[in-house]
Amino acid sequence: MNDTRRTRAVLGVLLLASLAMITVDYRGGDHSPLRGLRGFGEVIFGPIEHAATAVVRPVVGAFDTVTGSPGARRRINRLEKENQRLRQQLRTGQIDKRRADELDRLLGTAGLGGYRIVPAQVISAGEGLEDTVSIDVGSGNGIKPDMTVLTGDGLVGRVTRVGPSTSTVLLATDAASSVGGRLESSNEIGIVQGAGRRSGKALKFQLLDSTAPVRPGQRIVSFGSQGDRPYVPGVPIGTVATIERTPGSLTRTAVVRPFVHFTGLDVVGVVVTAPKRNPRDAVLPPAPSTPPPSVPPTPPPSPPPSAPASPKSTPAPRTTPRG
Amino acid sequence: MSRNVLAVIVIVAALILQVTVANRLLLPGSVIPDLVLLAVVALALVNGSLLGLVTGFFAGLATDIVPPSDHTIGRYALVYCLIGYVCGLAAPEMDRSPVLPFVAVAAGALAGSVLYALVGSMLGDPRARWPVVSHVVPLQAFYDVVASPFVVWAVLRLTTRAERQRNPAGLDPVPGFYRAR
Repeated sequence: MNDTRRTRAVLGVLLLASLAMITVDYRGGDHSPLRGLRGFGEVIFGPIEHAATAVVRPVVGAFDTVTGSPGARRRINRLEKENQRLRQQLRTGQIDKRRADELDRLLGTAGLGGYRIVPAQVISAGEGLEDTVSIDVGSGNGIKPDMTVLTGDGLVGRVTRVGPSTSTVLLATDAASSVGGRLESSNEIGIVQGAGRRSGKALKFQLLDSTAPVRPGQRIVSFGSQGDRPYVPGVPIGTVATIERTPGSLTRTAVVRPFVHFTGLDVVGVVVTAPKRNPRDAVLPPAPSTPPPSVPPTPPPSPPPSAPASPKSTPAPRTTPRG
Repeated sequence: MSRNVLAVIVIVAALILQVTVANRLLLPGSVIPDLVLLAVVALALVNGSLLGLVTGFFAGLATDIVPPSDHTIGRYALVYCLIGYVCGLAAPEMDRSPVLPFVAVAAGALAGSVLYALVGSMLGDPRARWPVVSHVVPLQAFYDVVASPFVVWAVLRLTTRAERQRNPAGLDPVPGFYRAR
C-alpha cells in the first residue's frame, strides 16, 4: 500500500513545516531566527566543500578550457595536439601557473588601488536562479560581512555571510545586487544593477541623470559606499555596450559588459582595508590602443555643473585622506 | 545498508557534486541540471511516496542551507517535498514499461523547476522575474532530462547492490527497472 493515511499525514506536517520556515525567514529578513540554520550549514558543509573542491578542481578546470572559448573547434584541435605532447604532470603544472598568474594580477590591482586584500579561491557556486559563490576564507582570516570582493580584472561582488572557514559572496550579476557606479573620467553616477548572468545581459547601468552623455565604450568604476562597506571606490566594473532608450523614463539604462568573467571565477581577493584615498580611475586597465570608431580618444567634455542626487548607499566620493 | 542510509548518502553526494562541480561548469545557456532534484525523483520512484517526501524535505532543507545559498529558507524544502510525494505516487506503475521511469523523471524535473520559480515570484524574489524564468526553466528541464539517465542509473545501481547484500542467496530480487513498495 503506497498512499496511506500516514503518508498523507507526514506530507501535511512537512509541507506545513516548510511553509512556516519560509514565512519566518521571509518576515525576519536579515535578522531571522533561521540564520542560525545557515551557520550550521556553513559548519557542516564548508569543510566537505573544501575537500571536494581539492578533488574535483582539475575536472572543472579542464571543462572550462574546452567550453569557455568561442572558437571551440580550433582550440580543441590545438589542445588535442598539445595533450599528446604533455604528460599529466605538466598539465597540472600549467593549471597551477595560470592560478599563480591570476594571483599576480590580483596583487598588482590591489597595489594600484591601495587596497589590502586577502586572496581566496572559489570552492562552490549557488544553485538555481541565484548568482552566489562560496570562497575558502572565513572569519578566521579576518573576513567580515559586507566586504568588497574583486579579481585582477574588476569587481566581483560583496561578502554576505561569513562562516568559520568559508564565506558566501553575492556576485554583482545577481538580480538582488546593486552597486553604485561612476562613468570613467566624468562624474556621472548611476546604479549598476545585476540582471542575472542567465538572462544574457549580465549588468545594467542606470544613469540617474537622463540627459547626461553616455556612449558605448565608456568604462565604469565603483563609486564607493558609506564607510567603504560594502563597496570600496575605484574598482573597475565594466564597459558600456549598448544604451537602451525607454521613452518617458526618468533614468537612462545602459547594458554593461563586465570586466570580470563571472562564469569562470577562480582566484578572487577580499578587500579587508579600503584605500586611504579614492583611486578614481587609476585601477582601470590601460585604454585599448585602437578605440572603437564611435569613441573619441580624448576624454569626454567636462561634466555638468550639478551632480544629481546620489543614491542612499553611495555618498559623494572621498578624495581627502581619512584620519 | 538500509534504505534510509542509502538515501542520505545519495542526497549528500548529489548536493556536494551540485555546488562544487555542476554549478561551476560553463554549459551553453549557462543553465545547470539540478542533480539534487533528479536524485530526489529517482529515490521517490524506487522507494514510494512516504520515503520520497521525507527524502525530498530533508534534501530541500540541506539545499536551502548549503553555503553559497542566499534565498528564503524552506523554498527548496517545500518544492522537493511535494515532488518527492507526487513521484512516489507513480512508483507502482514503473514496472510497466522501461521508458516510463525516464518520462517520470523528466516530468518531475520540469514540475520542480516551475514550482520553485513560482514560489520565488510569490515571495517577490527579484531573481524570479519573468524574462529570467522564461529563459531558464525550459533549458533547465532539457538539461535535467539529459542528465537524468546518469543519476537514475547511479541510484538504481546502488539500490540493487544494497538489496543483493541483504539477501545474497537469490538472484536480483528487483524484477523491473524499479521496485516499488
